[in-house]
Amino acid sequence: MNSLKLLPRRIFAFVARDFRLFVSYRMQFFLRIISVLAVVTTLFFISKIFAGFTDPQYSQWRDPLASWLTGLAVLNYFMTGFSSLANSIRQEQMQGTLESVLLTPINLPTVIVSSSAWDFLETTFFSFLYLFFGRVFFGVQYRGSFFLAVVFLLLTTVVLACLGILSASFAMVFKRGDPFGIFLGAGSALFSGVFFPTQLLHEYAGPKLGNISLILPATHGLQGIRQILIEGHGLAQVTQPLITLLCFLAVLLPFSLWVFGRAVKRAKREGSLIQY
Amino acid sequence: MLESAISIRNLSKTYPTPFRRLRAFFRRPVKEPVEALRDVSFDVREGAIFGLIGRNGAGKTTLTKIVATLVQPTTGSVSVRGNDSVLHDEQVRREIGLATAEERSFYWRLTSEQNLMFFARLHGLSDRIAKQRIRELFAQLELEEVARRRFGEMSTGNKQRLAVARAMLSNPPVLLLDEPTRSLDPLAAARMRELIRSLAQRDPPVTILLTSHNLAEVETLCERVAIISRGRIRALDTPQHLRSLTSKTEQIHVTVSGLNGSRDSERISFTRQAGDNELDERLRDLQSGGARILDVEVERATLFDVLEVYERGDLNLNQKENQ
Repeated sequence: MNSLKLLPRRIFAFVARDFRLFVSYRMQFFLRIISVLAVVTTLFFISKIFAGFTDPQYSQWRDPLASWLTGLAVLNYFMTGFSSLANSIRQEQMQGTLESVLLTPINLPTVIVSSSAWDFLETTFFSFLYLFFGRVFFGVQYRGSFFLAVVFLLLTTVVLACLGILSASFAMVFKRGDPFGIFLGAGSALFSGVFFPTQLLHEYAGPKLGNISLILPATHGLQGIRQILIEGHGLAQVTQPLITLLCFLAVLLPFSLWVFGRAVKRAKREGSLIQY
Repeated sequence: MLESAISIRNLSKTYPTPFRRLRAFFRRPVKEPVEALRDVSFDVREGAIFGLIGRNGAGKTTLTKIVATLVQPTTGSVSVRGNDSVLHDEQVRREIGLATAEERSFYWRLTSEQNLMFFARLHGLSDRIAKQRIRELFAQLELEEVARRRFGEMSTGNKQRLAVARAMLSNPPVLLLDEPTRSLDPLAAARMRELIRSLAQRDPPVTILLTSHNLAEVETLCERVAIISRGRIRALDTPQHLRSLTSKTEQIHVTVSGLNGSRDSERISFTRQAGDNELDERLRDLQSGGARILDVEVERATLFDVLEVYERGDLNLNQKENQ
């Protein structure tokens, strides 16, 4: 049987393993649900301070709570996109299980896809919770096509996953101190417009700093998703962020896979696969 | 049928110093690269149990990991059933199972069954076949009682057996066993040895590369043994031939009674060349003198003696190299 046919079985193996590990820490699961509810409630009260005061030129921010919740839900996803693989590799290295996984006849792309699969499922659940709690408890309204929003979400996540693969390559060679995680983690929250419109960066910090937001895939992803969910735009109106994301993907996907392959080869040459 | 299940040609491995040039540029101390293997060549025929012995740090683990595709060789090649370990690594991993004494290679919060299920799925086994195979292996390795126990709560011996079970999950034709009996009690160790022997004898046979510090075990199980020291193969032969390399003589102790009319038992010792007629002649003489043979003990050189000689030889060699 070829690798492609076996891919679902292998993804399922990782998901089943991670699910079992996850349920072995039940308390953590309930505490996370409570913390999401606490964040949504806090944002609801903060949004009340701004009620009726938002600048009409920022059309996506007329309901700040809706913008924040979309931003947080999506940011959660994006963070998983670029941190999940590096984290799984690092965790497997620390546990000492990476060698035994790499001893099985699976190829690198399978390891990449499979080891992040559970993280994405888990994040889907918790990201959905932000939107769900906003809707059920605080009456937040979402418009537009959810399907199109999901397409945007997946596309942006895949682009960020490419950065995640670069991050994992870094973890494979340098073991610690991943610069992608640091820059993209802090950078996305600050420059991608999760908590405030990116136009404000231009206005207050000048065009040089303001333009940083343009080189972050998360900015375009978030812009597209908010255009769809909050402004109710259709496909024709979101082509610009869509094309930008596709360009990111065309460059980053082959490059990141090539770098990861090189990193694994280097670790095998140095015999440092299980070192961390 | 393939002639060699494992074929190793001029294999060398030097672990490079990571970021050597960068460290040198910043004038940081740079460690020398470590030479783990030098020009190793040998073949293991299909269905053979091949022993690899040597002291800690001799290069056994590096060699095993190269065969298992986990480490890349610096020069030379390894092929497993005709597949190159670098060019066709995925195919090689299909052909081998590796059992190490490394406890950290399992998920401690999962049960032994869940652990095996995970690896079985990675090997591409369907759930039905995987469950059946796991049941068989648990029965074969006497692990049924701990099937639902978390790995972290298992005894060291059971963890060791689970590692062997994992290596056998996909029924690979080549097994790499790194000290498979290290933490086992004497009875379990004997059963493990029996299992290893039976694997090599079944049809189709399993080829086994066995590394162990238990020299008696290697002597009993292995068809051929390689002595590895400081990354080089020092000797490679059958255990019998290796023993004869250090000493061609054997010490014989014969316990007899009734010799020259005496009622007490006596112990007679003599030295003979291995394989000569002296034992036969002496026993005949004793019997014709009216003695009853109660016991015969043979004290031969062991693999331990051979290993010791090669290690001593190494020290001398190094001293010469330093001069």
